[in-house]
This record gives sequence, C-alpha cells and structure tokens, in this order.
Amino acid sequence: MAKPIPKMGSRKNGRIGSRKHTRKIPKGVIHVQASFNNTIVTVTDVQGRVISWSSAGTCGFKGTRRGTPFAAQTAAGSAIRTVTDQGMQRAEVMIKGPGLGRDAALRAIRRSGILLNFIRDVTPMPHNGCRSPKKRRV
Amino acid sequence: MAASSTINNFLSFFLPTKPPQLPPLQTPPLQFNPVASSQSQKPSQPLIAQYEPPSSSSSELSSVICPSLAYANTLFFRSPYTVQVVVEEDEPEERLVNRFRREVLRAGVIQECRRRRYFENKQEEKKRKTREAAKRNRRRRPMLKPVAQKKLDVPATKKEEDEDN
Repeated sequence: MAKPIPKMGSRKNGRIGSRKHTRKIPKGVIHVQASFNNTIVTVTDVQGRVISWSSAGTCGFKGTRRGTPFAAQTAAGSAIRTVTDQGMQRAEVMIKGPGLGRDAALRAIRRSGILLNFIRDVTPMPHNGCRSPKKRRV
Repeated sequence: MAASSTINNFLSFFLPTKPPQLPPLQTPPLQFNPVASSQSQKPSQPLIAQYEPPSSSSSELSSVICPSLAYANTLFFRSPYTVQVVVEEDEPEERLVNRFRREVLRAGVIQECRRRRYFENKQEEKKRKTREAAKRNRRRRPMLKPVAQKKLDVPATKKEEDEDN
C-alpha cells in the first residue's frame, strides 16, 4: 500500500490513525442481523473485518419503531452510503435472524445500486443444543 | 445459470485426495470448531477440512467412506448457510426479494426460529407435531367425509322447505 512517509512535523500533530481507515475495498460482505426488536447492518470486507455499521437505533428510531421494516430500510441505506463513498462495488449479503427487517433491508440494498453476488441466510440453527429460555406468560 | 441451493451441513468434510486422513468413526460435532485447517490453500478457514465438488466416481467413494457426505453435493463456502440465492445481473428488485423469500420459506428458517425462541416441553412438542402432521396430510388427502355429510344435509332441508311451500 502506498502510504506517504509522515514528516517530523505531522507526527507532532498527534494521531494519523484516521489515515488508515480509508482503505478502498471493491468487494465486501453486508451482514444484516434482523431480530424482532432491531436491525443491525454491518459492512465488512471479505475476511470479516468491519468497515462500518449502522442500525435502526443509530438512525434515530427508538423503542418499538426500531423493529419495523422502514427502520431496517433506513439503517441499510445509511450503512451503504458510507461504504459506496469508499468505493465498494460488489457485495454479498448475509442475513441472520427472524424479523421484519429482512426483506426491507434487502430491498434497500438492492435499490442502492450496489452489485450483489449472493444472498445468503446464515441464521444460526442449533442441532438441538442449549435449552431456550422459558415461555413468557403475558 | 441461476441456481439457488439449500444446504444442511452435518459433518466435517475431508479432502478426497488425501486417503491417509480417515474420518473419525463417530459423527463429530460440526462446524464451529476453531481447529486449524490442515490445508495450505485457504489458511483463513477455521474449519477442519474442506469438501470439494466431486466427480461422479469420487462421490461414490466419499459416500461409502462417510455417508453424510452424500448430502453435500455443492460447494462449501467459508461460513455455513441455510439458503443461498445467486443473483443474476439486472434482476428486478421485486423478483429477487420474492425468490429469496420463497427459498427461505421452503427451508423453514423463520418457523424454526420461532419454535426455538422459547422452550417447549414434551406436551407442546407433541401438539406441534400432530398439527404439522395434520397439515401435511390435509394437503395430500383432502378430507371428503365431513364435506359430503354437509352436502347431504343441506339439500334434504331444502327439499322439505320447497315441499312446504
């Protein structure tokens, strides 16, 4: 990677750590975790290192509105906007969890103009593992 | 060619080109074992081994050595997944979403999630299984008896009313 050697003066200015984060990645993976109460959209590179993330909560929704499909749509849109500025063209989508945000986030991703390779569902499925919490008595 | 595949990964796989590596006799727990891979090709894979798409002869061999390998007839990617939809170029948004939704429905992901959300005791499980069995059988054999009885009842009463009038 062609990174300019910092001069003595700029070293005194403190961190140049922000320089490292602008790496151009043409291909990445978009993880969408759609639970019943919230939707989190994380954009990583192919190895899994996170580039940026956004969720319905960070987009300003609170409480029950975070779980709605519209909130998922805005979260996906916000996550992808930061990433297309960095120059990502192709992506894979990994969707996890039940929830209303699945389809809405997928729609938003598709509409944002990013090219998709695969859409995968990676909901974790135990082969009858741990005991789930007890039933709610509402 | 558009292909959408559903995969259930059950076992760890082994390279068919390495005969001295015999798989363990009992079924080992799968997948999330951070054991270092024995291959040099893809060092980033945290899996035990990787399964390559077989030719016809090696598939027979692999199904003999490890029977559950017969299920895995597609490429195994880095992370296990239940549903995969391959996106073609210029596919309309609605069609893509519908295709994904249909695949997920076929795989029963959301149903399964909802079932495992809270614990169900044996009673609940039995009830659920009978309900599912009834639904499955109802689709194949539409129930004729109750419907026929209703039809017999209705024309009988109608005839009586007509005769009265």
